[in-house]
Amino acid sequence: MLKLLATLALLLAATTAQACAVCRPRVEAAIHAPDYTDTLLLLLLPVALLVGGVLLLFFSPTLFSWKPTPPRSTVAP
Amino acid sequence: MEANSSPLHRGPLIAAGILLGAGLGGFVDGIVLHQILQWHNMLSGKLPPNNLIDAKVNMYWDGVFHAAVWVMTALGLRLLWAVGHRRDVPWSGRTFFGSLLIGWGLFNVIEGIIDHEILGLHHVYEYTIRHLPADLAFLGFGLLLLLAGWALVRAGRTDTTPAAASH
Repeated sequence: MLKLLATLALLLAATTAQACAVCRPRVEAAIHAPDYTDTLLLLLLPVALLVGGVLLLFFSPTLFSWKPTPPRSTVAP
Repeated sequence: MEANSSPLHRGPLIAAGILLGAGLGGFVDGIVLHQILQWHNMLSGKLPPNNLIDAKVNMYWDGVFHAAVWVMTALGLRLLWAVGHRRDVPWSGRTFFGSLLIGWGLFNVIEGIIDHEILGLHHVYEYTIRHLPADLAFLGFGLLLLLAGWALVRAGRTDTTPAAASH
């Protein structure tokens, strides 16, 4: 119990995310590299293709459309 | 009566289902493969996550991709809302659920072909020299979803109750 309390006290006293404070600038530099836009465009290519195709299907007046035959009950004299 | 004589359009419902299915499939991919299993990171082909910095950079690009997947889901919801008000679109559960499966399958197939095989941005399982088995399993699962979805959409051809008239 004493060990647990001591560990918790140490954790509370420690400054948060020491490792990230050190590596954060390197992470940001690696993300915002000169090829950022290229990476972004390549990454979003599958999503753009999907959305483009679907919008074409949604607004197309002829794809997957048909004129239904009237039900028998409405045709009867 | 008027709805019986005017053409019916399944395209808008299929379109909404495909976007929602692709979005939900993208979330399954993000939660199960990226976060729980720690596979399939977006840039792992170029930048293997072998240290904290590269892992965090991959995490950033995973986030960007899944933000786009969220946009796809929201757009699918918007299209479904629009379909719900149309009298020329049959409100068919089979068509809609088939379209969801097609969307998920398309997500796997398009992402798998472009990112894994053509661009080589990443692979499903990066921590081996043989990437092909996991990549092919991912594509095969996508094809199965496409087939199942297509069968459901075909079965829904006979559903003709318009969306706006069914509630």
